[in-house]
Amino acid sequence: MREQPLKEVTQLIHAIKIGLVEGSYSITNKTLDIFKYIIMSKSWDSADALMQIVRAQSRILQAALPQETVTSNIARRILKLTREEFELLQAKVQHFADDSQASLSLHKLVTQTSESCVSVDYSVPQQGLREALLDHLQEVETELETSSENISVQAEEHIHSSEIILTLGHSRSVENFLKRAIKKRQFLTIIVAECAPACRGHNLAATLAQEKNVEIIVIPDASIFAMMSRINKVIIGTHSVLANGGLRAACGANTVALAAKHYSVPVIVLAPMYKLSPLHLCEQDAFNMVGCAEDVIAYDSVPARDAKVYSPMFDYVAPELVTLFISNAGGHAPSYVYRLLSELYHPDDLEL
Amino acid sequence: MVVTSEQSSSTSAITKQKKQRQRNRPRNKRNRLEDSEAKPKQNDSAMQKSNSNPQQNTSTDKTREQIMAEREAKKQAKLAKKQKLNAPATTIITEVEQTTITKKLTTTTTTTTKEQNLLPLHSTNVADTKTASEASAISSTDVKPTAPAGEKTREQIKAEREAKKAAKHAAKSIKSNNVDAAADQLSDLQVATKTETASAASALTADHEKKKPALSKAERRAIQEAQRAAKAQGQTKKPPGGVQTAGANSVKKAPSVDATPVKEQRDDKHDKHESPAKSPSKSGTLKADRECKVKLFNHLVSADKDASLFINDPNVHPSMARLGVQYAQRTIVGSNARCIAFLHALRQVVQDFETPAKKEFGRSLDVAVKHHVDHLNKCRPLAVSVYNAYKQFKNQLTQLPTDTPETELKELLGHFIDTYIENQIGKAAQAISSSMQEKITDGDVLLTFACSSLIQFICEEAKRRKVTFRVIVVDSRPFCEGQEMLRRLHACGIPCTYVLINAISYVMPEATKVMLGAHALLANGYVMARTGTAQVALVANSHNVPVLVCCETHKFSERFQTDAIVYNELCDPNLLVMDGKCCLNNWQSKSRLTPLNLSYDITPPELVSAVVTEVAILPCTSVPVILRIKPDIGY
Repeated sequence: MREQPLKEVTQLIHAIKIGLVEGSYSITNKTLDIFKYIIMSKSWDSADALMQIVRAQSRILQAALPQETVTSNIARRILKLTREEFELLQAKVQHFADDSQASLSLHKLVTQTSESCVSVDYSVPQQGLREALLDHLQEVETELETSSENISVQAEEHIHSSEIILTLGHSRSVENFLKRAIKKRQFLTIIVAECAPACRGHNLAATLAQEKNVEIIVIPDASIFAMMSRINKVIIGTHSVLANGGLRAACGANTVALAAKHYSVPVIVLAPMYKLSPLHLCEQDAFNMVGCAEDVIAYDSVPARDAKVYSPMFDYVAPELVTLFISNAGGHAPSYVYRLLSELYHPDDLEL
Repeated sequence: MVVTSEQSSSTSAITKQKKQRQRNRPRNKRNRLEDSEAKPKQNDSAMQKSNSNPQQNTSTDKTREQIMAEREAKKQAKLAKKQKLNAPATTIITEVEQTTITKKLTTTTTTTTKEQNLLPLHSTNVADTKTASEASAISSTDVKPTAPAGEKTREQIKAEREAKKAAKHAAKSIKSNNVDAAADQLSDLQVATKTETASAASALTADHEKKKPALSKAERRAIQEAQRAAKAQGQTKKPPGGVQTAGANSVKKAPSVDATPVKEQRDDKHDKHESPAKSPSKSGTLKADRECKVKLFNHLVSADKDASLFINDPNVHPSMARLGVQYAQRTIVGSNARCIAFLHALRQVVQDFETPAKKEFGRSLDVAVKHHVDHLNKCRPLAVSVYNAYKQFKNQLTQLPTDTPETELKELLGHFIDTYIENQIGKAAQAISSSMQEKITDGDVLLTFACSSLIQFICEEAKRRKVTFRVIVVDSRPFCEGQEMLRRLHACGIPCTYVLINAISYVMPEATKVMLGAHALLANGYVMARTGTAQVALVANSHNVPVLVCCETHKFSERFQTDAIVYNELCDPNLLVMDGKCCLNNWQSKSRLTPLNLSYDITPPELVSAVVTEVAILPCTSVPVILRIKPDIGY
């Protein structure tokens, strides 16, 4: 049966498409609201039914917005939550008959067989699941709200005074992170690559320039390599983190990362947990999107008639070019991302 | 000398104010016409010129310069064409090709601005050529009012009117192909007017020679007075003071924009120290304290864009002064184009050079040329190619025979300049192209960055050989020179792809070869080129695409450099600000925000697979070898 999108989902898709809702954070927030609404609604009676609905809606979201991975990520989080809560309640009902769920001793871990996990039947209606889920969802919401704050708190651990930092484009996490760093450390120099053709770097530069005790330099994208020899750290945001620790980041990030590698400059990527996606893509053709080319070259210019003009949105950055991820849970090496993913999502939910 | 007599004639004209006002009227009218043709925006400023608020004059000053520079560029293009025509019947076929190559190299760069100006107005080809012919007509007739003083004698005006009529006539009758003939015709007319005015002027010279300094002083005072009055009274048209009014009135119309350089020239020596110091002090201070704020680049002095500083130097030959403005305003960009333009101007300087009494020709010319080069350096830091050409020229000067007459020496130097252009630029381009042809095969996808006349030449040659290949042009803000490259390649019918430099990783997998132009090759094997080149090479390297840098040996430099910061050129940071609602608008008011616009970057040799020179295809690190054997190349 073909799934029908909920009214809320359609509205969200529309809002994102016309640009009313922008940025990963607000998209995640809005998606979470939808799932919360689904959980609150009376349309499901068992965990299985709920998971069906969540899967269906997130599939629709994904099909409509293939570039926004955060919607699927949050759906996976919900699925995992549902599983956990259900199992927990199930265990309670069985009066802790099997205490292996509660305490995982080393002996249990080694000898444990996978059968115990498989045998869970989610279709059984469970009392109090809705309340437990809503409770837990509250936690997720707070985590989401504080993620940016939690990342920026770590600024002091990574930036010393009179450092020269390069960033690309405009990312909200980076903006908060740098603002915090500017407050705590003196004589910073922040070099912002403008990220043509949208030149969102200009916005970041203008915002940061309101702070004191800092020098902001805006450079065109072409000067990244020329300036890299003087840079201490590269701090960039990303659109999503892939399962191998690679990045799907704003166009130009690959050049920045390569130049940083050339000069052995550490590349720090700010990525809140909800940007971690269990996708194994290691080529940009797999996920890239091309934007409007009018900004690149005017449509009415003579050579534009016959030339092919591209304005891609994303760049793939290989994991070996990234030094460190900073998420709201702390710092991680790119090689550790797989572990974070297995903690965040249930292996059965990787395919929605 | 023609120039001096004309100048004195113009002083005489100042005294006859009434007539002069009448004479100026048609000129203003024409100015207006031209301005509207070039940029509709300037229309109102040109209109107000008759009101002649001095401040407005200074504001129009630059646009005027631009127009002059454009005209000059056109003239040069024509000159190059003529050269080709006048060239003696060549014995070797390649020599003909040489000239065409050099011509192409010059014309392609110079026509850019013309195209830019004309394209929005005229889209079809026929209209384009027509306007070109018209523009050329105007430019050739206008050489009179711009080059000599703004004030004219009666004969001059008559001659000019004739010329104008002829120009209109020519423009009407000749629509497409006969542009050159028309230009020739016009230049003949122009010569006639020149001689006429010369004879007329020489008659008047004696009378007014003594009055010169006093007059000019009065003028200057009048200008100051007028400025003060304008400030005080706002829009009132009459400056106060009976005696002053007369002076001010004459100033209003007479020394309008283009008159100033020559007027200054005519002034006596004590004058020249004052004049340049005066004008920049007002507009210059505001700019200077903002520029170079980036601490890393405090050691780099960005070129002073204040035109009055370079124009008012009486010791600078007009051709060099013009070239300086063209450099500063980036009308002439690119290593080769700058070098060729410099050499053409240099030839002019040599031809017009007069040895001072009891001085040796070679030495005094050396001093004069050095002054000119310093002047150019002030306008925009010299390109390595220009510097090398200058060095070779200097070397040639020291080897001049002492016992030969001056005219012969001049001929010798002229010949040297010609062969330098031919060998170092023309033949080199051909040699590089022929060795590159082996590298371009069917199905190739070449990736290139920004605009290089050499790469364009190679691509055209490959197209002529009927190789099926396509080109990816990578470009970067703020100059977007790649658009020019795209236009040129598109004109040859080569299929192109165009992306900005961010998207380089997106297109790199398609590319089979990366071909890059260079500004200079440094002695340690680093490639100095338009900023962004290093990034292209870097990404190409990460995708295992071979990077070929095409560079003639005349661009090899003896400098060593390991980063792009020690020596670089700062361009106008305002270019980074996008029009419309950009967050960088009035960044000057935000003390902590600075846009930085670097000109060049340095590509390390490990990112470059090979350098293609006219000598051989070499690794980057062989540059010192070439430098050692360099004097033997091409002679």
